[in-house]
Amino acid sequence: MDDLTEMLKGTLEGCVLQIIGDEETYGYAITRRLNELGFADVVEGTVYAILLRLERNGLVRVAKRPSGKGPPRKFYALNEAGREELATFWAKWEYVTSRIDRLREGGR
Amino acid sequence: MKFWDTITGNDLTRDCEAFEVRAGALPAEYRAAWEEVKCHLFPYGSFTGRNLVPILDGALGLLEETAADGLGVHEVLGDDVEGFCAALAGGEGARTHRDRWREKLNGNVARKLARLGG
Repeated sequence: MDDLTEMLKGTLEGCVLQIIGDEETYGYAITRRLNELGFADVVEGTVYAILLRLERNGLVRVAKRPSGKGPPRKFYALNEAGREELATFWAKWEYVTSRIDRLREGGR
Repeated sequence: MKFWDTITGNDLTRDCEAFEVRAGALPAEYRAAWEEVKCHLFPYGSFTGRNLVPILDGALGLLEETAADGLGVHEVLGDDVEGFCAALAGGEGARTHRDRWREKLNGNVARKLARLGG
């Protein structure tokens, strides 16, 4: 599906949190995971910017690990604050989707 | 930071030279992307531009990592390099040169109007 950028803007950060929450991982793998999910427009730069923000906000643990080739890779895992943020994200998601679903069904 | 560096900007020159050496080792399409990134980040610089050094370092690191992975630069930055740079610099709310100039201008105009008793 094209042109999801606007709609995804607020939720991509939550998606990345969830992916990191599942297992410690790095930027490229996160991008691939999102692409596989069907978010084809998401490029590594987008994920990099999100990771930077998560790091700045103190939600992740970062470890540098050597990679087979090229410079060492940064691996990300959630810390306690990150897990709380993820829970908040899902609570908000639940709230928004339930209201929007209700709207679509014509209920009040 | 050393006082000498503060007034001469020597540290900045050194950092920039180091960045260019690193960028020079990138494939051609990545070098072009690096030039574009620098262009789009420039407006987010503070008066001396020192705040950009870590941001540029990170962006260059990303280019280096992904070039080593053999990715095309389009897979890394997509179409919206400007948006990418805005996100790096701290989001859409990031203050640019233009915002600061505007603010200053507005302040000046308001002061002069006040003096005229307007």
